[in-house]
Amino acid sequence: MNELGKKLARIAFDERGADYLLAMREEHGNVAPSMIRKGEDAGDVRVDLPYQLVNILSNIYPWVPKGRIAVVCRRCDEKALNEIIKRNLMDRDRLILIGLACTREQVALCRCSDPVPSKVDIGEANAPVREDPLMVKLDSMSQQDRLKFWTSEFRKCNKCFGCTLNCPVCFCDDCVLEEHTFTPELGIPPSFAFHLVRSMHMSDKCIECGECERSCAGGIPLLTLRKMANRDMKRMFGYEAGDKEKVSPLLTTLEGKLLEDGEHVC
Amino acid sequence: MTEFNPTILAFCCNWCSYAGADLAGVSRLQMPPNVHVVRVMCSASVKPEYIFKSLVQGIDGVLVLGCHIGDCHYLTGNHRTAKRVPIAQKLLDDVGVDSRRVKLDWVSAAEGEKFQQVITEFVDEIKGLGPNPMRGVRL
Amino acid sequence: MSVNHVLTTCPYCGTGCQFFLQVVDDRLVGVVPCKTDEISQGRLCIKGYHAHAFVHHPDRLKTPLVRKDGQLVRASWHEALGRIVSEVKEIVAHHGPDSVLVLASAKCTNEENYLIQKLARAAIGTNNVDHCARLCHASTVSGLILSFGSGAMTNTTPEFDNADCILVTGSNTMEAHPIIASHMFKAHAKGAKVIVVDPRETPLSRMAYRSLHQKPGTDIAWINGMMKVIIDEDLYDRDFVKNRTTGFEALKKVVDGYTPDRVEQITGIAGKDLIDIARTYAKSEKAMIAYAMGVTQHSNGTNIVRALANLTMLTGHLGKESVGLNALRGQCNVQGSCDSGGLPDFFPGYQKVDDPETVKKFEKAWGVKLPHEKGLTLTWAVQQAAEGKIKAIVAFGENVMLSDPDITHLEKALKKLEFLAIVDIFPSETALLADVVLPAACYAEKDGTFTSTDRALRPVRKAVDPPGEAMPDWKIACELGRRFGVPGFEFKSPSEIMDEMAGLAPIYGGIDYERIDRQVIRWPCPSKDSPGAKFLHAGSFKMGRGVFAPVEHTDPQEVPSPEFPMILTTGRNLFQYHTGTMTRRSSKLEREAPEPYVELNSKDAKAFGVVDGERVRVSSRRGSVSLAARVTDNIIPGTMFIPFHYAEAPANRLTNPALDPIAHIPELKVCAARIEKG
Repeated sequence: MNELGKKLARIAFDERGADYLLAMREEHGNVAPSMIRKGEDAGDVRVDLPYQLVNILSNIYPWVPKGRIAVVCRRCDEKALNEIIKRNLMDRDRLILIGLACTREQVALCRCSDPVPSKVDIGEANAPVREDPLMVKLDSMSQQDRLKFWTSEFRKCNKCFGCTLNCPVCFCDDCVLEEHTFTPELGIPPSFAFHLVRSMHMSDKCIECGECERSCAGGIPLLTLRKMANRDMKRMFGYEAGDKEKVSPLLTTLEGKLLEDGEHVC
Repeated sequence: MTEFNPTILAFCCNWCSYAGADLAGVSRLQMPPNVHVVRVMCSASVKPEYIFKSLVQGIDGVLVLGCHIGDCHYLTGNHRTAKRVPIAQKLLDDVGVDSRRVKLDWVSAAEGEKFQQVITEFVDEIKGLGPNPMRGVRL
Repeated sequence: MSVNHVLTTCPYCGTGCQFFLQVVDDRLVGVVPCKTDEISQGRLCIKGYHAHAFVHHPDRLKTPLVRKDGQLVRASWHEALGRIVSEVKEIVAHHGPDSVLVLASAKCTNEENYLIQKLARAAIGTNNVDHCARLCHASTVSGLILSFGSGAMTNTTPEFDNADCILVTGSNTMEAHPIIASHMFKAHAKGAKVIVVDPRETPLSRMAYRSLHQKPGTDIAWINGMMKVIIDEDLYDRDFVKNRTTGFEALKKVVDGYTPDRVEQITGIAGKDLIDIARTYAKSEKAMIAYAMGVTQHSNGTNIVRALANLTMLTGHLGKESVGLNALRGQCNVQGSCDSGGLPDFFPGYQKVDDPETVKKFEKAWGVKLPHEKGLTLTWAVQQAAEGKIKAIVAFGENVMLSDPDITHLEKALKKLEFLAIVDIFPSETALLADVVLPAACYAEKDGTFTSTDRALRPVRKAVDPPGEAMPDWKIACELGRRFGVPGFEFKSPSEIMDEMAGLAPIYGGIDYERIDRQVIRWPCPSKDSPGAKFLHAGSFKMGRGVFAPVEHTDPQEVPSPEFPMILTTGRNLFQYHTGTMTRRSSKLEREAPEPYVELNSKDAKAFGVVDGERVRVSSRRGSVSLAARVTDNIIPGTMFIPFHYAEAPANRLTNPALDPIAHIPELKVCAARIEKG
C-alpha cells in the first residue's frame, strides 16, 4: 500500500464511514479501476490517469444494493454526479465524494475551465484554462471551412459508441443513437446526423470531462464540440450543466416552470 | 445557369399551422411550390433529430410551425419546441451549417396569410443561401 | 458482494486490445477500456465494448454431448472423453494415425494450442494439425518465411503512429482492425500520406491521400508496376539491395514487363496514379505497408505476399522503427496458434517437423516417437476427407461449416467421416454435425496468453467460472492426452504449459508468466534477460540475406464468364465477427448488422434491374444464396461483396476452394458469380 492508498483509505473508511472505495490502483503493471472494500489493502493507488470513475460507478451501482461508496472525484465527476442525482439515478446519501484537484497538465489537456472540486482532499488547486485553442480557431473559420473540418473529423468515426459508453451523463436505457430512424444500420462511418443528435442530447448535461474525446478511436476532438454547445447553452439560457439544483431549460416552460414529464427527458 | 430550386420541409402542427396552410390554399394565396408539408400532432413532436436528419439527407431548409405560445392544444408542447429549435440551430452553426436553414414560427389556424408570408420569405431566404452544403456529401 | 475489474485481452481481432471486465459476483456487467495499455490506449471498438455480452448467453454449451441413435444427448465427461479416445484409437489402428486430423484454434490460448498440437503429434502420432490460419494468413507465413526467414508482422502496432506513408492494401482496417486504424489516424493527423489500394471504397480510403481500386486478383501486377517505376526512376535503396538481398537482377527482369500502361490494362489503376504512389512510397522515410485477407486469400496468395516483400526490400523499407511490412492478423490468437505449432509443418516456434534434429529434440522432450513427415493442411485434409482418406476430425473451436470455402461440398466431406468431435462454446453449425461435442470455457473463464498480431504476449485472465460443466480447452486437452496413455499431459496450470513451450521454442525462450504479467514482451525473446523485439530484421535477416522472388501476375482461378459475369469477393464487416457465434449473440452488435447483404455498384444494379434493399439471389458454380441487395458506389462495377458472417446466407456456399499451391489458402476473395432478382 502506497502513501496515497493509506491516505485515501483513511479518508474513506476511517473519517467518512464508507464501505467501499472506488479508486484507481496499480495492477499487472497497469492502472486499474478498483472497488476496494473496507478492511481490504487499498494497494498502490494512483490518481494521475483520467479514468471516468463516475461512469464505472454507474455500471456497477445497480448491482451493489447496500453500503456507502466513496469515490475519488474531480470537479467534473462531482458535476456528473449532480446531474445523475438530480435524475434520481443514484442516492446522494450512499455516496461519499473525495475531492481530487487535477494537475496543471491534466487541466491543460482538458482545456478545463472549472478544475477545482468543492472540497480538495487530494492534489493542489490549479488555475483554469480559459480558452480552447481549437474552438478559437473554429470560431475564426468561415462556415464552409468549419463544415469541411467536421466532415473530415466525423469521417473517422467507427461507431464504437465509446463517446456514449464512457460518458458519465449518458444514462438513457434506450439510446436514441441506436434508433434505426436516425442512425440506420448501414455500417460506418455513421452520418453527420449521428453527431448532431448526440450533441443535442448532451446539450444540457455535458460536464466537459473529456472522456468522449479521450476514448474516441477516431481521435475526433469531441470535447471541443461539447464545449461549443455548452457555450451556446450558457449564452442562450444562462445554463451550465452540473449544478446541484438548477434544472435544465429543456425541462421547463418558457416561464421556468417544470414541465409535466420533465423528470428524465433526454 | 438554371435557377436554384430548393427543397423545403415544413412540419406543421395539426391544430394550427396545418389548418393555416389549408386556409391559405382555400384562399388561393400564391405560394412557392418548393415546400413539402409534414403534418404533425404538435410542434413538440418534431424532435431535433428529424431536423438534423432532413438536413443531412439534403433538404435545403426546414420549417417548424406551431401554435402561438399559450395556444398549444397540449398546453406546453410549443414551449418545448421554443427551447429545442434554437439549440438545434446553434449546434448547426457550430459544425458549419447555416442555422438560417432552420426556422421556427407560430401560425394559427386563422393565419392563412401569415402562412403564405412565412413560406414565401423562407423560400426566398433559402434561395439566397443556395443549396444545402451537406447535400451529396459523404462522410 | 464482490466487485472486480479483471484485466484481460479482447477475444475478437488480432490487435490485442486490453480491457477490464467488470465482474459482480461471478457475473460480467461491463467492459472498461485500459488507458495504460500501449496497444489500445484506452480505446476499443464496438466489439470490444460488448465482449462481455455473449459470455452468459443461454445458448452456451454446458455439458458434453454424445450422439446416440442420431441425436446429440447429454453425457458425462467420462463418457464423452472416453468415446473420443476409443473411436480415434480404433481409427488409428485400422487406417493409421494420418487418417486423423486435429484442428487447433486461433480462439484458444497459446498454452492450449501447444497442448492441442502435442496431442496430435505425441498422443495420436500425426502431424495432421492445423487451424483457421490456413484460411487467413497461411500465405503470409509461407511467403515471408521464404523472403525474410520469419513470417510475422515486422513492426508493432504503436509504430503506425509515427509513419509518414502507410500503404494499406486488402485490408478494411477501420472495420476489421479498428484500433490499428486508430493508430493510423494519429500518423494521418501528423501529415502521413495514407494510400489505400482496394477493390472497395473502404471507410479508411475516404481519408486517404490516394485511394485506388484494382480489379480483384490483380495485385501482383500493380505491385510489380510500382517496382518498375521505382527501379526506372532510380528510387530504390541501392545499399540495401546490395548488402542485404539476393536475386535483384532476376526481379528487375520480371518487373520490367509491368509498364504503367500494361498495369492499367490488367488492374484498372491509372498509370499516373501508379507512378504517384510508387514515388510517394519509395521517397517516404518511414513507410509502412499494412495488408490483410485481400492479399492472402488468393490462389496465388503466397506470390502476392512475396511481391510485397520484394517491394519493401527494394526500397529498403524494412528493419527500422515505423518502417516495414505488416500483416494484420484477424483472430485474437492466430499469431500465437501459429507460434505454438498449430501447423502441419512446424513444431512450436516454427521449427520444421521434417528436420531430423528438431524431431529428435521434441522426441526427447516429450518422451515419445514422433512422425517425420509434414501433415495435411486443413483445406487439403477436408478435400481428402471427401475421398475417404481422412476418417476422423477432432476440432477445437472451429466452425468450418461457415468459414471454409464451398460448404456444400464440405458438408458432404464431414458427413463422410467416421468420427467428428467438436470442442466449442456454442452449438455451432459444425458442432451440430459432430458425434461428440465438448463444452469449452470462453476467454473470460480461463487463464492463458494470446499473441497479438504484433507478436506481443497478452495475458488472458479468468474473470468468471465457466457455465455448467464447461472446462477450459487446456484441461480438455490434458484429459484427452492422459486417456491416450501418453506422458506429458499432467499440467496444473497454463503457466506450467508456457514454461514447457518456452523451453522448446526459442522465440518464446524468455517468456514466463511472471514477466508478462507486468510488461509487454514481443517475440523473438530468446532468454530471460531479453526484452523481446520491437521491429524485426534490423541489420540482418534471420537467414542472412533477404530473397527477391520475382513473381508474375496470373489470373484468378475463376474469371467472369457469360454465365457468371461478376466477380464475387467476401470479407467482414465491423459489427459481426467471423461465423457470428459470439457477435450474433450480442444484441448491440446484432442490432448494427442484423442481416446478410450483397454490396453491388449502382451501375450494375441498374443493369440487372436491382434496387437497394431488394431480395436477390447470388449464385456461383457451387451454389446460391438469397439475401438483400445493398446498392452502393463503394465497390467498383463488376464486383460484388458479401460478408461471410451469416449462416442464413453463407457467402462460403459460393466461394471457390481453389488453393494456393504453397500455402493451401483458398481463393476466398475471388470467384465468378451472377446476381438475379428474387
